[in-house]
Amino acid sequence: MDMRDADTARLLWESGEWGKDMYHHELKATVPRRILECSAVSREINFTSQEEIRQFRLEQRVFLAGACIEEWFFDFGFVIPGSTNSWQQTIESAGEDRMLAAEDLSGRMTIETTFLDGRTMLFKTLVRIFYE
Amino acid sequence: MGLLTLLRKLKRSDQEARILVLGLDNAGKTTILKKLSEEDITHIMPTQGFNIKSLMHEDFKLNVWDIGGQKSIRPYWRNYFDQTDALIYVIDSADRRRMDETGVELGQLLEEEKLAGIPVLIFANKQDLLSALSSDEISQGLNLHTIRDRTWFIQAASAKTGEGLQEGMEWVVSQINDGAGGGAESKN
Ligand SMILES: Nc1nc2c(ncn2[C@@H]2O[C@H](COP(=O)(O)OP(=O)(O)O)[C@@H](O)[C@H]2O)c(=O)[nH]1
Repeated sequence: MDMRDADTARLLWESGEWGKDMYHHELKATVPRRILECSAVSREINFTSQEEIRQFRLEQRVFLAGACIEEWFFDFGFVIPGSTNSWQQTIESAGEDRMLAAEDLSGRMTIETTFLDGRTMLFKTLVRIFYE
Repeated sequence: MGLLTLLRKLKRSDQEARILVLGLDNAGKTTILKKLSEEDITHIMPTQGFNIKSLMHEDFKLNVWDIGGQKSIRPYWRNYFDQTDALIYVIDSADRRRMDETGVELGQLLEEEKLAGIPVLIFANKQDLLSALSSDEISQGLNLHTIRDRTWFIQAASAKTGEGLQEGMEWVVSQINDGAGGGAESKN
């Protein structure tokens, strides 16, 4: 997964490869605080699948201090066997009045992404965001 | 200018719009989408599956699906036809050797029931190359004038220089907006 300033496509954060241990561990992302000033931010997830998947979908939730503040459901549908795929989402910022300070957010925000085939959970990741 | 600006121009009568980007491998599909989002286009790997770009503006979502075009992947294209609002077909204008092949693939797509009546934009890409055929030549070579069952448009473009991308995407947006207003779709 990576995060970019959507207007300039400048890279702000990039995770390494996610392994099986992602089931148990929380990933920590330290992001420059200027990400909060971007008018739009994009997040991209890349994944490979050896097997064909028929009803691939994803549920993503952003939590702030345990409360869900943003939710994305996305249906990919069919995944080609042996394929490498990517999903990039671009999110516009809430506007200055609704913007929260880096100090208030840092370490309190998590992005939870669940990958499913129909109703069967395949994979889940949790990334905790810190601002510096 | 980029996809986000285009999205702001879409009427929000629907919650979501879906654009499908197809074409032979190496046509420049991924490069076009990256260029539109102002991303670096120097390290692009051939698409072995799909690349999706989802953009959200207020409550409206635009999803652009770029599916790999290698011969081995093409049989899977049909898995992605559902609920498509517009088709963008990308042609490498300098690949004269495969002009027939790309014409055949496009012809087959236009026969697909699930894509019936859906507006199609053809990008005559790689116009920056000297050996590129013009959009008129491609139009004639592929007999595009025989397309009667939908609106279509061919746009000369270069993903490398950015030429024509904007114009092409504006056309797509105008078509989706017309459809949303009950134009093209309500005819049948
Ligand atoms: N000269 C030139 N090369 C291009 C253009 N668009 C794409 N390419 C190159 O064509 C190759 C294939 O592009 P890619 O986007 O991967 O094609 P795809 O398989 O259709 O997604 C890459 O090497 C690109 O750099 C263009 O407009 N002009």
